[in-house]
Amino acid sequence: METPQYVAARVQRALAEDDRTNELGIRVDVRGDQVYLRGQVPCDERRHLIEAVAREAAPGLTVHNEIRLLEVHEPGEEEHL
Amino acid sequence: MNALRVAAVADIHLGEDLRGHYRKTLAGIEERADVLLVGGDLTRHGTFEEGRLVADELGGLPIPVVAVLGNHDYHSDADQEIIAVLRDAGITVLDDDAVTIPLNGVRLGVAGGKGFGGGFAGKCASEFGEPETKAFVRHTKEIAERWRLALKGLDADTKVVLSHYSPVKDTLLGEPPEIYPFLGSYLLAEAADAEGADLIVHGHAHSGTEKGITPGGIRVRNVALPVIEHAYVVYCLDGEGVH
Ligand SMILES: [Fe+2]
Ligand SMILES: [Fe+2]
Repeated sequence: METPQYVAARVQRALAEDDRTNELGIRVDVRGDQVYLRGQVPCDERRHLIEAVAREAAPGLTVHNEIRLLEVHEPGEEEHL
Repeated sequence: MNALRVAAVADIHLGEDLRGHYRKTLAGIEERADVLLVGGDLTRHGTFEEGRLVADELGGLPIPVVAVLGNHDYHSDADQEIIAVLRDAGITVLDDDAVTIPLNGVRLGVAGGKGFGGGFAGKCASEFGEPETKAFVRHTKEIAERWRLALKGLDADTKVVLSHYSPVKDTLLGEPPEIYPFLGSYLLAEAADAEGADLIVHGHAHSGTEKGITPGGIRVRNVALPVIEHAYVVYCLDGEGVH
């Protein structure tokens, strides 16, 4: 089996460099043949694209998409500086 | 002197899949703030089409908008076209220069640009060795020097530095320390500390923290959307004067 660290690095690089994603902020952890994706993105479409690119970069492994949707709240209290 | 209400956000990473969404969150911003600063990574892939979408989303607001680009906005080599389309939409885009905006009798000066990496004092790259390393470090040095000159030349009551990359480590807390050199450079803080400013706003570190301070005592705020989790934050500058 391929060393997990190299698989994680390859997935992370694919997410950054693939024009479908260009995502730099996704954390990729590999344990055995399980790949875990974590982070935040603003919409569901991007979450699915990330999963698709990760699957292509890690064929044969199980990808767990634990990416959260980024919630943007109404502006809150102001800060006085 | 009147207080200035500065709204700020960064890393909105707009794309066709988000059209209309961010704009909606800006409704009523003129009630809360006098100016909106946008700290780069406006797009995801840095294409001209995405730039035009950003112009649609940020253009025509009832308050002035000042923006800089981020690394994502450079990815497709369309940075100058993106700057042009944003300016056509009435957005002020800083590219290592400065602007003065009169707001309720106060002259707000904003200086800055994209910024760049290199790391932080004691743990940073130096202009030594291979040409690739030298070019990387020189890029940041040149930017910092242009910012220093831009700040020096500002005739304003309140000065803010707008950047994409971080000037300090404080606001990177939460990011893996191994990537700090790619998230910012102390040279940016040094330039601001040399000339004085009331606030530095940046983005880029999506997993960082909001609040920090430069060695010279200038407040730093990381306003990356995933950090602030609000459409924008508002900082009231009470105009006690530049440090
Ligand atoms: Fe970003
Ligand atoms: Fe960035």
